[in-house]
Amino acid sequence: MASEDEEFTMLFQDFYPSLCRFLECLLGGRAPLAQDLAQESFLQLHRTAWGTMPVGEARFWLYRVARNMAINEFRKSHTRYRLFDRVVETMRPRARNPEQEYETQERQTLVLEMLQTLPEDQRTALLLREQEQLSYREIGQVLNVSESKVKVDIFRARASLRERWSRISHVNHVNHVNPV
Amino acid sequence: MNCSFTEKISSLIDGELSTAEAREVERHLVGCNECQLVRADFLNLRSQIAGFETSLAPAVQNRALKKILATPRRTPARGFAWSFGTQAAAFATLVVVAAIIGFLIYKSSNTPANDKHLAVQTPTPVPAASVEPKPEASPSPNKDNEQTAPKRTPSPAPKKPLVREPKPGEQFAAIPSAPEPVRSADAQTMTALHFEKSETLLVAFRNVRLNEPGTASEVAYERKRAQQLVLQNMMLRRQADAAGDVQISSLLESLEPILIDISNLPDKPDKDAVRVIRQRVERKNIVPLLRVNSTALARALD
Repeated sequence: MASEDEEFTMLFQDFYPSLCRFLECLLGGRAPLAQDLAQESFLQLHRTAWGTMPVGEARFWLYRVARNMAINEFRKSHTRYRLFDRVVETMRPRARNPEQEYETQERQTLVLEMLQTLPEDQRTALLLREQEQLSYREIGQVLNVSESKVKVDIFRARASLRERWSRISHVNHVNHVNPV
Repeated sequence: MNCSFTEKISSLIDGELSTAEAREVERHLVGCNECQLVRADFLNLRSQIAGFETSLAPAVQNRALKKILATPRRTPARGFAWSFGTQAAAFATLVVVAAIIGFLIYKSSNTPANDKHLAVQTPTPVPAASVEPKPEASPSPNKDNEQTAPKRTPSPAPKKPLVREPKPGEQFAAIPSAPEPVRSADAQTMTALHFEKSETLLVAFRNVRLNEPGTASEVAYERKRAQQLVLQNMMLRRQADAAGDVQISSLLESLEPILIDISNLPDKPDKDAVRVIRQRVERKNIVPLLRVNSTALARALD
């Protein structure tokens, strides 16, 4: 049992931050909720499934459970968390260089906003590819879809983001040239 | 995006094309400006998404782990008993239903012809609803694994390696797209050669055996090479900066501290110092990046 707990701890230490990041991007930047859901996913793994599957499989299992939880959250009212998240965000300790922090924050907000414009399945597939570097086959395994669907979803997501990105750049350029 | 290759660009940067397909797409890329732009934009998006940082405090992580470990686990035996009981109940229901049907058929075959229509009133078999779909939020683990290996196999975990070799054409975040012909061919040739030399050095450094007696002399050689390359690296980085080649410049910039660290190693380096540098090389994924870039530059020069 002790070694099982050690193994679980190792998996948790390695993988919890990645799962939090994945969920945060999926949920549009709600970090506290993402952390709660990541914890809940690990809790389910520990209580029910740990010991019944190979450790390598556990990662895919966690992605699957976490994604389903995130989908359930989409269905709930969003307002319940919004205020709490704002408060947490305000209280969060800041980096020492405010300018750098501001730039990073701006860029991350833009990335999150753009990701939110994608359909959920495209967004999940793209995040698993770009952040977690899963192959198409592995993504298909997590999402329970075929590799060819993963391929198409990722391409569509990229094409759509590219278009939005160029539109944003164009607007910024115009505003820069002709400030209102 | 009018070119028919654009979808393949997406697969190319993910390393999901076969070697032949990857070559074909790369050949196409040399002559197609639109596809070059698409690739550069896709890679830019990749670095934006992959560079997303989450604000996770270590204290929160530790608290979460403690909470999880403190929760009692459901033993696998109970899970097995539940599933066995469910299957047994389903089987028993089927047997009962089959017995009733058999009995009614037998009875109807023995009754006179004018009573045969009564046999039609046999109850239809109720589908055993004992196999319920599991809730969406907790999908069952791989069923094959459950049946063949109810307990976790002690074999080493097929853990995802931190750094893996790139597949044909695969490019990681922040990797440059096709080098733009902003700089002179000489500078590009020098950069390609520099990448090759640095790659060789880093691979050799990775392979130095720390426990053997000749380690000091081996590291001394790598150190000397690194000292030579640092100067060249600085020069090439300045050139790339001046030419506005941000992608090459950023790769050189991430290579530079590693070269400096190797060149600053003492005569008899501590094992830990060497290990730390190696880990950094692995973490930054420098070797595959150098390989991909030197190949791309060489191809562009051809």
